[in-house]
Amino acid sequence: MSIRCVVVTPERTEFDREADSVVLPMYDGELGVLNGRAPFIGRLGFGTLRLQTAAGPERYFIDGGFAQVEKDVVNVVTSRAVPVDLLDSEEAQASLEKAFEMPSVTPEQAELKETAIRRARGQLRASR
Amino acid sequence: MANARALDKRRKSIRNIRKITRTMELIATARYKKSMDRAHAATAYTNQITKIVSRLAAAGLDVKHPLLEKREVTEHARVLVLSSNRGLCGGYNGNILRTAVPAIRQLRETVEDCPVDVSGKRGLNGLKFRRIKTADAYLNFEDQPAFAEVEKIADKYLSMYITGELDRLDVVYTRFISTSRQQAIVETLLPLGSLDMDSEEEEQSGVNAEYEFLPSAESILEEVVPTSFKVRLFKCFLDAAVSEQVARMIAMKGATENAGDMIKQLSMTYNRARQSQITGEIMEIIGGVEALEG
Repeated sequence: MSIRCVVVTPERTEFDREADSVVLPMYDGELGVLNGRAPFIGRLGFGTLRLQTAAGPERYFIDGGFAQVEKDVVNVVTSRAVPVDLLDSEEAQASLEKAFEMPSVTPEQAELKETAIRRARGQLRASR
Repeated sequence: MANARALDKRRKSIRNIRKITRTMELIATARYKKSMDRAHAATAYTNQITKIVSRLAAAGLDVKHPLLEKREVTEHARVLVLSSNRGLCGGYNGNILRTAVPAIRQLRETVEDCPVDVSGKRGLNGLKFRRIKTADAYLNFEDQPAFAEVEKIADKYLSMYITGELDRLDVVYTRFISTSRQQAIVETLLPLGSLDMDSEEEEQSGVNAEYEFLPSAESILEEVVPTSFKVRLFKCFLDAAVSEQVARMIAMKGATENAGDMIKQLSMTYNRARQSQITGEIMEIIGGVEALEG
């Protein structure tokens, strides 16, 4: 038994394949999905999507978005899905430093800054 | 009668122009197909987002978000005009500017602070000619706008809106209705108004699955709204790109046909000129022979 994992970005359907298990990078931690998972809709954070397929493990960096699980189909809706090998850790480090320098005078600004930092950290972690 | 040689020269140059316009038409057709495919690919994403929104609504969640609500006082507005980088596409840019200029003037009557952003060289020059100052210009969008690029712009507007530097965002773009119909329109993207997408499909899967929301429905809503704004902006860019290619295709098709007609006309005049030249020469020879005999 396997589950289908569909990753959709605004530009195209990134991939659509069968996997034995899927680990989603949720907003507040990782969540593993196996066969027969109860349906849910979740908010994704910035992190690594891990697939265990027959051909071996696969890892993708997910840039926020949502996940929907229904009847052994995992739908991932994200703005970007990049195989981890293609990530550049120096670039991620640079964007983290840039995020640290953002102003945080008002609560709204602080929130934007926090999101930028979380995103850069997720990218950095995935690239290592 | 005009000089036959001059006519022939002109006919040759028109033939060359026709070759060029035909090639441009073919290129535009190919690009149009490509950008059309991309626009189709984007619908998969919008459908998923719509699904999530409808599930949220079905769960009895009150759809409320600062981005959805209209602000009481609009102090800072902004207009984004989507035009093309290149010309030779018929009335495409003209239509955009004809829609954009009155819209900007009207908005400026009520809102004092109203900068204009432009995408595309043609729009930039057109607005400059009409003495409308532009703030930001994006010249990096060709026939296949990348989501990453659009997202940067969207993020900028979102953060401006959240921090209160912006109360309203209007986008002027060409909506693609069908291959034979594109329309330049003004759309208010911020505040969003509602979460309905155009590709709304009421899917009745029948199964009223009980969904878990992780971490909570409110948290998901918080993320859905900015995402749907980004997608809408992206869709505007995609529509504009498709419409541009269609406009160019049609313009170049017309040009090729007109060149063909012109060549036909010129050929006729050329043949006549040649004939009358020959007749003239023969008359001269006959005249000379008669003179010798006499």
